[in-house]
Amino acid sequence: MASFRKILTKRVFNALITIILIMLVNFLLFRVMPGDPALLMTPRQPGVNMDAIYWRNVETMGLNDTLDVQLVKYFVSTFQGDWGISYTWERPVIEVLGNAICWTVLLLGVASTITFVAGIILGKIAAFRRGKTTDVAITGFGLFFYGMPIFWFGIVLMVIFVSTLHLLPGSGYMESGTTPFPLTFDKVVDILKHMILPVTTLVVGSLAGIILIQRNSLVDVLTEEYIVTAYAKGLSEKQVMKRHATPNARLPVVTTIAMDTAFILGGAFQVEVVFSYKGLGLTTVEAIWKYDFPMLQFIFFIGGVAVVIANLIADIVILKLDPRVSIT
Amino acid sequence: MANKKKSRFEARFERWGRGLFKFNPHLSDKVGLQARNFGRTTDLFLATWMGKIGLGIIVFFLAVVVYADLFVPYDRYASTDYTFEESSWEHPFGTDQRGRDILTRTLHGTKASLTVGLAAMAISMGIGTGVGLLSGYWGGWKDEVIMRVNDVFLSIPWLVLMLVISSVLDARSLVTVIIVIGVTGWSTTARIVRSQVLSIKTRQFIERARAIGSGDMHIIKKHIFPNVVPLIFANAILTIAISILSESTLSFLKMGPQDVETWGRLLDEAYTWSAATTGPYAYIIMPGLCIVTVVLGFTFIGYAMDEVLNPKLRKR
Repeated sequence: MASFRKILTKRVFNALITIILIMLVNFLLFRVMPGDPALLMTPRQPGVNMDAIYWRNVETMGLNDTLDVQLVKYFVSTFQGDWGISYTWERPVIEVLGNAICWTVLLLGVASTITFVAGIILGKIAAFRRGKTTDVAITGFGLFFYGMPIFWFGIVLMVIFVSTLHLLPGSGYMESGTTPFPLTFDKVVDILKHMILPVTTLVVGSLAGIILIQRNSLVDVLTEEYIVTAYAKGLSEKQVMKRHATPNARLPVVTTIAMDTAFILGGAFQVEVVFSYKGLGLTTVEAIWKYDFPMLQFIFFIGGVAVVIANLIADIVILKLDPRVSIT
Repeated sequence: MANKKKSRFEARFERWGRGLFKFNPHLSDKVGLQARNFGRTTDLFLATWMGKIGLGIIVFFLAVVVYADLFVPYDRYASTDYTFEESSWEHPFGTDQRGRDILTRTLHGTKASLTVGLAAMAISMGIGTGVGLLSGYWGGWKDEVIMRVNDVFLSIPWLVLMLVISSVLDARSLVTVIIVIGVTGWSTTARIVRSQVLSIKTRQFIERARAIGSGDMHIIKKHIFPNVVPLIFANAILTIAISILSESTLSFLKMGPQDVETWGRLLDEAYTWSAATTGPYAYIIMPGLCIVTVVLGFTFIGYAMDEVLNPKLRKR
């Protein structure tokens, strides 16, 4: 058990270092960018003393300080929860993004739950029927959608269900002009309706990774000798699968799920742009088009931290699942 | 599962190899043997259905690159008055916002898209292999440091990173976009290579090489690298597919190359001109279908390679 704790400490320590490095990259990346943020924030109107505003901006943004002072300030304010002020919205970043993050988390939560559950089940079916038509069908389906730009699949769905069949709404997270609160039954239905297409796109686009890894790791296990032994003992196929095969095939799946977090996040960005779903992704893309650096910096930071934490959780789960890891 | 009787290339390649260097018996033997090995790999590769289909797809698109002008009679740049036409015999996929033939533009987009895929793959495989080899071979604190940096690259949302870097570049040409995709995509390769190196370097032949006085660089180059190649070869092919996808996503978000017309850029234009709601639908379907097919082709080849080069998997 001692070694378990030791490994855990090392993993947490590594995760912290990674987060600090991400912050460092984040800081430097936006410092080497061309363009003067103070100038960007200066309104261009006649009759306004632009110089005064410009220098006030330089002052408030701390651009007069040397780079190392700026770095320290950046770290301190990040940990204090002061994320800066959006250039375009002229409000604190957290305020602008708070809403968007909620919608993205909702979208991602639903989509990734479906993806993981469906992916694991389909992967199992493919592995059990390996070499047969079902396997080829599932694997082929997986690979086909694996090679599809997620945004394009979204557009195709839009062409079919919105433009041609007029079945589903094609943009936004709910009917425009309404607000989610107070929440009524009709509004929930409306939100769900708006979620169908984005969620479908995300699920189908990211399903393949899980299917393939679940299938391949199960197939790997099924060729081991102890599976033959298990059959020889007279166990039924169901028992072999449940007791001997599945537990051993779990590890790569857990790792993949963690690694997929970054991938699905990227997918969510594309889906949000296609369906004008006003979440984190659409806001990010708009921020990029408008060179809104504080917003980008924040998104960069929480995106990185989310992935690091997901990987850390996966590491811990693997440690729990596989006693061999903590021995070596 | 390799089918012995279907060895079509093994003997043929050996014959060609020997024939080519007839004048020198020693060289002829050597080349013949190499050619034979290559032929055997080809046979095994073509015995898989994925290999066959994948190779077919890629050969088709390479042919499109070379013979694009023969397929279609239109000028890809010249505007005409016939905008947003639905498909007809003259324009099988309709025309775009400036009256240009969509089929022509799609076919001509092949070259740029394939270039991005291949070049970005070369960059990210180069960095990834180099970093992985050194990090795995050195071990110790250097390895720790490199792996932490690698973690950062793995953790940062790749799309945001690419978007931010591209937005920094004022003039986004084909070359800069290739570099952006290549530089952001090496971390997985580095990890795979490193773990392979870690296991290879404990083997005895490395120790023997060191005992007879081989230098570090020599060992890496002559003993470790050749053992890593089969592993990364399949990975390289898959990286081409991923790079093409990355480019199309960047282009769709208006952060792609501005000097060439890739499929991603066609998709972006189609979407911007709301071809998704008003048509012609082919404007949005065709470039996407091309991306899917090419990516599928490379993915198939990658998987087939994996099966052939890593025989442990062959029993599947």
